[in-house]
Amino acid sequence: MAASPGGDEGIYARLNFTTDLKAVEEHERRIRERIDATLRKSQERLAELIDQNSTLPTTVSSITVVGAPNTRRSFLARIFDPLLSVNRDRPYTQSELLQECAARADKLNRFGIYHEPISLFFDKPEKTDPSTSPTDVVVYLTAKEKGRISAKTGTDLGNAEGSAYANVQWRNVLGGAETLDVNASLGTRTRSAYQAAFDTPILSDPDKRWQIGGVQSSTQKSFASHEEFLRGGWTNLRWLASSNSQHEVGYNGYWRQITGLASNASSTVRAEAGDSFKSSISYSWIADRRNNPILPSSGYYMKMISELAGWGPLKGDVAFWKSEVHTQTASTIPLPGIKGDSGVIFNAGLRAGLLYPLALGTKQTPEASHINDRFQLGAPTDVRGFRLSGLGPRDGSDAVGGDVYAAGGANLLVPLPRLGRESPLRMQAFVNGGRLLALRQAEKEGEMSSEDVRESVYNTVAELGNGLPSMSAGVGLVYAHPVARFELNFSLPLVLRKGEEGRKGLQFGVGIDYL
Amino acid sequence: MPEENEELRKKQIRAVGGRRPVYHLFQLPSPVRRIFDKFPLKTYPANDLPRRSPPIGHFDTLHIFTTQEGALQHAPSFNPACLKWQAYLKFSGIEFKTISSNNHASPTGILPFLTPKSFSPSASSSQPISSNKILKWVSSRSDTVPERVSGMRYEAYRSLIDHRIRRAWLLTLYLDERNSEVVAKQLYIYPTSSNAIVQLSLYHQLKQAARDELLKTASYIREDEVYLEADNAFAAISTLLGDDVYFFGNDRPSLFDANIFAYTHLLLDESLNWQETRLADSLNKKENLVQHRQRILTGYFDRHNAL
Repeated sequence: MAASPGGDEGIYARLNFTTDLKAVEEHERRIRERIDATLRKSQERLAELIDQNSTLPTTVSSITVVGAPNTRRSFLARIFDPLLSVNRDRPYTQSELLQECAARADKLNRFGIYHEPISLFFDKPEKTDPSTSPTDVVVYLTAKEKGRISAKTGTDLGNAEGSAYANVQWRNVLGGAETLDVNASLGTRTRSAYQAAFDTPILSDPDKRWQIGGVQSSTQKSFASHEEFLRGGWTNLRWLASSNSQHEVGYNGYWRQITGLASNASSTVRAEAGDSFKSSISYSWIADRRNNPILPSSGYYMKMISELAGWGPLKGDVAFWKSEVHTQTASTIPLPGIKGDSGVIFNAGLRAGLLYPLALGTKQTPEASHINDRFQLGAPTDVRGFRLSGLGPRDGSDAVGGDVYAAGGANLLVPLPRLGRESPLRMQAFVNGGRLLALRQAEKEGEMSSEDVRESVYNTVAELGNGLPSMSAGVGLVYAHPVARFELNFSLPLVLRKGEEGRKGLQFGVGIDYL
Repeated sequence: MPEENEELRKKQIRAVGGRRPVYHLFQLPSPVRRIFDKFPLKTYPANDLPRRSPPIGHFDTLHIFTTQEGALQHAPSFNPACLKWQAYLKFSGIEFKTISSNNHASPTGILPFLTPKSFSPSASSSQPISSNKILKWVSSRSDTVPERVSGMRYEAYRSLIDHRIRRAWLLTLYLDERNSEVVAKQLYIYPTSSNAIVQLSLYHQLKQAARDELLKTASYIREDEVYLEADNAFAAISTLLGDDVYFFGNDRPSLFDANIFAYTHLLLDESLNWQETRLADSLNKKENLVQHRQRILTGYFDRHNAL
């Protein structure tokens, strides 16, 4: 109402206008229809043309990428050179060319440095150019570069941790889709973390990447009454084997310092205080064939991680071989009386890991594992119904970790009555459990030989099957947000080892990677 | 203290990941609680501890700078502050073990500290006792407490050791290039990590810490002056000892004897491979101090005297 300070007169004037308005609308409708018709016709004509010419031999004389002033020519050349007819022994058919160009545009897109969509144009080259042949076309791609520098700051609240972070990303640093990421965060559990990583595609291939980075962080590990100060760097190569399986090999060098002990720290943690340098090579393989990583209803997931530290020329202060396997499967259970997807999902997960002590570089006897290399088990995202690191060996109140573990879980997810299966909310019932064990002590004191270690690993793995695993069961609510999965569970411990900390009651979890 | 309890409670909450034990705060109706109490349905014996975990503490243990072998053989620590308390505990006749440790393990950030033997079977250690509380702990534990000397005269001589001799010690061990490259690196850097970058970084930290300590009392470090002051201090202490067996005419060594022994022993210890011996040379001239060191060494640190 405030729009017309002129008062009544203005309103009357408008009321008188209504008949005219209808006429205008009618007019506009007709124009629209005409434009639509023309467009439709031209599209049909185009389709016909393409159809008729789909087998027409075509050659590419030039490719121009428009709107990418910061991208290196040599970087683009590696992607588009093979497309040029100069580099091919036979001409394209037109439909082939379209496909090929679309594939290259998609590749360009996957570098993540251009705004979507990347548009393609074809044109005939200038007739005046004597070097062109009649079958020639020129290709134009419009790829608008994203801003080179983006920065964000924010706060995170997760698994009982609050933090504030700042992130600066510099895209396309050297004009070849390289990224430089700089992160700083301050939090309650991760006291502080500063990280920088440089990541680049190899030979203009978005599926093969090389990364190098450095980190300095200080993390409160209250489950074992200490703080870990970490300084180090890594470098790795990653490549996609197919659309859902990825390999990674890398080298890691970290200086770890166990410090800031709580006054009631156990003697195990006190003995671990101080510095150690880990120098390791690692390999991991991930295959993710789930239909949705947060709330999968079909498919499976598998991750294998292996790490070799301190062996031979790697040196450092710790030596071990460490392997871990994570798997998850999901399936939808058909219910009688409901046609099609019932929305009832069964998830099963299995994880296992082993740390095998090795002898350091020139030494003869294997090194016993350090607390920061051992596994921890028990969290809202792995074995539910336990406190953080609630499973495994304990010295007083400290979870000191173990060298061998196995954990498994099964959950049944049911849609909530009124919301149905489309909603991201589910009810769940779960049973999960596991064991985390330290390598059994050899009878004798002092250094252990390689034979002692082998025997000890064998005995410890056998011990996994001794008695029931530590278990808990419960029911809860699951909310699958696109970014992470939230769970609120009520659980009760069923089987425990003395000292292990089960949770009776409610537990809240946020995470991506659930058991 | 209430603040401490509050702090401890916070720590415990943090230790369980910030999730409050809800069922403790709200009283559950008793039938529900009875059902809850039935869980867990089965409890097995505890898991074994990892290999590197020290055995359950049946001994009072002094955490000091020493080597692994040194700890087993009860050898004197190579750090004066640690050696002072190690010697004092020996004088008091308390049976104790030594263990090789580092500053990160200490509740105060500085070695030594002591973990009394554990009487509870569940916890492997009890509250650690930092060096400034060891004196009090000893008098609560031992009937044969070494004489406690006090008074103006004692304080004056004590400050000679804790300031003048200590300053010269810091200078000669950490800031003299020849000694620091050989002795300090051997004692403090190489055992920490085998990585060259870590070693270099720690070495610079160590030197810087020594320099900062020396600059606390002077605006710049005059080497000759520091050595001269130490020489005078040794002379004064030598005069104090005179022909006595132990200081202040006692027939058994006291904390003061431990204090001076901590420096005289290390300066005269040839196994440390000293390169610059200016401080040792001036000490060697004080015949009675050399004998005093030898007396304590053979009387309290000889192999067959070990635990």
